[in-house]
This record gives sequence, C-alpha cells and structure tokens, in this order.
Amino acid sequence: MIPPGSLALLAQGAAVSLLLAAAAIVGGTVLAIVLAAAAFSRIAAVRALYRVYVYIVRGTPLLVLALLLFYAMPALDLRTGPYIAGTLVLIIYTGALFAEVFRGGVLSIPRPQWESARSLGLPPVAMFRKIVAPLVTRYTLPPYVNVCVMTVKASSVLSIISVWELTLAAREIIERTFAVFTILGLAAAFYFVMCFGIDRLGRRVERRLALRGFAGERA
Amino acid sequence: MSFARWVSIYGSTYWTGLAWTAFIALWASFGAVVWGCVLLLIRLSAGRWGARGVDAYVQLFRNTPVLLPIYLIYFAFPMIGLPWPAVVCGGLALILQNGAYISEVLRGSVNAIDRVQFDAARSLGLAPWGTFRKVVLPQVLVYSLPALGNQVVLLLKDTSLLSAISITELTMQAKLLTEQTGAAYEAFIVVALLYLVLVSSTEVLFRVAHHAVRWR
Repeated sequence: MIPPGSLALLAQGAAVSLLLAAAAIVGGTVLAIVLAAAAFSRIAAVRALYRVYVYIVRGTPLLVLALLLFYAMPALDLRTGPYIAGTLVLIIYTGALFAEVFRGGVLSIPRPQWESARSLGLPPVAMFRKIVAPLVTRYTLPPYVNVCVMTVKASSVLSIISVWELTLAAREIIERTFAVFTILGLAAAFYFVMCFGIDRLGRRVERRLALRGFAGERA
Repeated sequence: MSFARWVSIYGSTYWTGLAWTAFIALWASFGAVVWGCVLLLIRLSAGRWGARGVDAYVQLFRNTPVLLPIYLIYFAFPMIGLPWPAVVCGGLALILQNGAYISEVLRGSVNAIDRVQFDAARSLGLAPWGTFRKVVLPQVLVYSLPALGNQVVLLLKDTSLLSAISITELTMQAKLLTEQTGAAYEAFIVVALLYLVLVSSTEVLFRVAHHAVRWR
C-alpha cells in the first residue's frame, strides 16, 4: 500500500518542517518583542512604522513575500538557496503575528495594575519584569500557541519556493508513484501530529502558569 | 527599469490575474460561508455523533495546511473520473478548509443568542429547521460579520497558493512575468500592492456591512 521508502522520506520532511517552524517561532518571537516595543514607542514615527510593517505583512500572502525574497536574494547576490530565504520570510511573517499578539496582551493589562506599579515607584525594568511580563505571558499564551500552529502550517507554503520539507517531499513521492491518497493522507497525519502536539503542549503550559483566581481575569 | 515605466508596459497583464483572484476569492468565500452554515446545522441538530463528526472535521482541517487539500483534490479527482478544471478544484479546497473555520466562528456566535429566543421560537410553533433559518442563522451571521471578514481575508490571501496548481491568478501572473522579463522586484511589488488593495477593500466592506446591520 505505502510505496517503499516513502514513510522515511516523509518523516525526514516532517523533521525539516518542524525545524523551519522552530526557527521561525524563535526568530519571530525575538522580532516581535522588538516590534511590540516599537508599537508602544513614544515617537509617533516609530509607531507608524510598526503599523506599516504589520499592515504590509498581514495584507500580502505569505507566498508572495516568499517569492519576492526568493527572487530578490540572487539579485542581492546572496547565494544562499531557498532555505535562508524561506526561514527569513517565515520569521518576517510570524514576527508580525506575534507582535500583534503581544501588543494585544499589553493592552489587556488592567489599568489598576499600571497605576499601582507606578504608585509603588517601580523602575521601568522592574515594572516590566514583575508586572508586564508575567501578565502578558499568561494573557497571550493561547493566541501565541495558535500562531505557532499556524507557523507549522505556513511552512508548507515554502515548498513552492523549492524548500524541501514535508509538503515538497509528499509532492515528489506523488509524482513518482501516483499514490495520491496514501501519501497526502500520511503527510496530513504528520502535520496533524505536529500541530495538535503543539496545541496540547500549549494547554499544558497554560495550566502550569495559571495563577489561582487571577489568570482568567481580564480587563 | 523605473517603476512607472514597468507599470505602463506590463500593467495591463495584471488584469487577468486580478480578475481570477477576485473571482475565485468571491465564489470560494460564498461557498465557505454556506459550508460553514451547513456544518453548524449538522453540529446543532444531528445529535452527539453529528457534533463529534463536525468536531473531527474541524480539527483535521485546523491542523493541516491548506496546500494538502488543494493537491488532494487537484491530483486525485482526475483519478476517480472527475476531471474538473483547476479553478473548481482549488476553490473547493479553499471552501472545505475555510468552511471548517467559519463553522467555529458561527458556533461562537450561537452562544450570544439569548436562550429565551429558543423558547419563544418553540412557543410560536417553529420547527427546528424554521428556528435555525429564521432565528439562529440571521443573528449568527450578523454577530459574526467581523470574524467572517477576517476569515475572508485569509481565504483571499490563500488564493495565492492556487498558483501551485497552475491557475493564472495574481501570483502566477507575477511568476510568469518574472520568468519573461527577469524583473522580480517590479513584478512582485505590483502584485503585493494589488493584494494590499484587495485585502483593505475587503476589510472596509465588512466594516461597512457590520455598521449597517448592527442596530437591527
């Protein structure tokens, strides 16, 4: 039923997909922290820049961004192949999504928290460490996990710019063996396990972080 | 080549791509909303097993990338004797995927309906189907308009993936132009701008619609 050797190839592809997603999640989170800081900047131009960035990245398909970067890379004389372009575009993409998640989290910190922090005279660093960070991580965990799942799925788009990962592996096997249902079913199973796993993992972390009587209360 | 010169020479070649993208996005969005309503109806009326089936369906499509159903329908339908055009296959895949998300959106809005209305519907003698069509559905669609708008925008952006099954929509058009002229920047920046325009106008449209029906 299953074409010989295809299961191993698909598993390899899944590993590459997961690696791409992991790189994008780590890179995107770092980028998003910078972006979210820009969103709350005192300088209006920086805030505007943030809005433009998010508007462009969320308003254009990932594939268009990927192709733009893929074709632009050789033009910039960076002979790096599709992997760098692919990872980069995923980071740019998830960075915008994570940044919006973080921004929403900061905005949903109840006003009394800010006021009491200020009235205690907490310096900015302590305010971030003791008030903002603990609250934002708890508020944003569910949407953050959603974006992580989206990132795994979005990595499939990179197959079109010839990044060899799960979807491209599946496509290659199908073109050789014509076992459309089997191979796509298996690929779907791999994706499902990865995405569902991330979702479950997120829920576990959520439960662990939950503070009794507080984490559920939002402004 | 300067940007203005590029647009003056190749601008007109984008029209077909734009038309295809808009056409597919339009009918697929419509189909996805209808399919989402059907899934909601199954969930609400077909008992425990109906709800479980819809749940499994939603989970499956939530946790797999949309490229898989696109490839599945495109490659598999000719094998089972349904040689449909790529546009239909691609649109169908988008409908299956986005319908799953939309049914979840609509389900969220069902909870916003006051329980009293169900009692009122029953006391008026409305059958379950009548209750769904005349009481539940109109309110649910109005409540979910903003979320539906988001989903339609996602669908619109996902139409770009149909370039992988050789539909000459905007993204494919840009790819072809790039191969012809070697000017990737120009070709893709125009396409990116066109997507931005499409996405923004969709968002405005849904906002206007939301304001128009909010106070009924």
